[in-house]
Amino acid sequence: MTKDILCDSGVLISLTAGCLDRMIYFFSETQKVRFIIPPSVEYETVTKPMQANLRKHLFSAIRIKDAIEDGVVSVVDAKLERETNKIMSCANNLFYIKGSPIRLMQYGESEMLALGQELGIDYILIDERTTRLLIEAPFHLKQHLETEFQTNVMVNKGNFKELASRISTFKALRSSELVMLAYEKGYFKNFNGLEKQALEAALYKMKYSGCSISFDEILDYVTRVG
Amino acid sequence: MKPLTQIATKILAAFRKRDQRSLRKLNDEVLKLAGIDRDKVCFDLAIYSYVLSKVVSKPRYLDKEYEQSLKGIAQVFQMIVDKMESPDQDELIALFSDLENALAHLEEKDPRFIVDLVTKGRLKMAATLYAQGIGLGVAAEMTGLDKQEILDYAGETMMFDRLKEEMTIEERLKNARKFLSG
Repeated sequence: MTKDILCDSGVLISLTAGCLDRMIYFFSETQKVRFIIPPSVEYETVTKPMQANLRKHLFSAIRIKDAIEDGVVSVVDAKLERETNKIMSCANNLFYIKGSPIRLMQYGESEMLALGQELGIDYILIDERTTRLLIEAPFHLKQHLETEFQTNVMVNKGNFKELASRISTFKALRSSELVMLAYEKGYFKNFNGLEKQALEAALYKMKYSGCSISFDEILDYVTRVG
Repeated sequence: MKPLTQIATKILAAFRKRDQRSLRKLNDEVLKLAGIDRDKVCFDLAIYSYVLSKVVSKPRYLDKEYEQSLKGIAQVFQMIVDKMESPDQDELIALFSDLENALAHLEEKDPRFIVDLVTKGRLKMAATLYAQGIGLGVAAEMTGLDKQEILDYAGETMMFDRLKEEMTIEERLKNARKFLSG
């Protein structure tokens, strides 16, 4: 049975930049995982860096393009403009500071969630923290905003309910969890005797690439596998 | 006088005094406003207060050969202050482009990094907004930077260590394993 997972642009770029893109192939071949992206993610990770000749991200773009052409990453265009805008509007009118709504989500992130909803996909691979917190702990995000801006954050309850009904059933995984799963499934076996070091190094690589994982979480997992 | 005009005036005064500490404090102040108001001028002030603080922190820019360039920067900033209350925001935004050019001129004499000071300022501001809880895509859109640039920068900060996660790593892995088991 094929297992579908939605994929954020940040995860794809981090995996390719960290020379871990073979992991996508590994999951596709050994676990029948299908990595799904909306067109906006393809644009952001492939088309834009190649068209604009963004030197720093060009090699990642070529590798992601390759993965798309190899069929391990699938671009699905479901034309979900209305639903995308609805999710974006709810998210961006959810929290208010001094009467002004806080903009939390952009079109690309909303499109990914709308696509997941349309295709009935439960799992989402995302390194971006704000969208992930909106999915799994919106009140935690509210508290964080209150701490950062040192003021009360008001919640629009109607939008909160609307948004929760659309996105709260998603289960978010970070690239770090993908690395951990890969380790558990034998991806690092080829590093004869250095599997655990390779795992730890890969987790740090993901963290330094912007995956929202803490040092404590890495240490926790690495200690467990000990 | 509007609060933003007051801040802009203070930024200029601190730059003229080469007072890095005050510039950084003003940067914190204006950045908080930018996160809430998302006003373009406010955001530009946040970027340039940071950039100017970097300029005055570098001893080489205090050499005589840079005196004219620094004067030019102060002159453009003075024009920004003078136009802060003007209803024509386009004119004001154009002046920020002039400021960017003046800073590029300063750097081109002796470039040290691939990323210029203004881009670095944008990056820092975008990463700060993201750390505050603003969405990554929104921060990218506001600064005109790529998400991955911001993620790379964020990955080298402690922002993900400062916010305690609600789920434990074990709970997350449980979800992940469930995904694979179908």
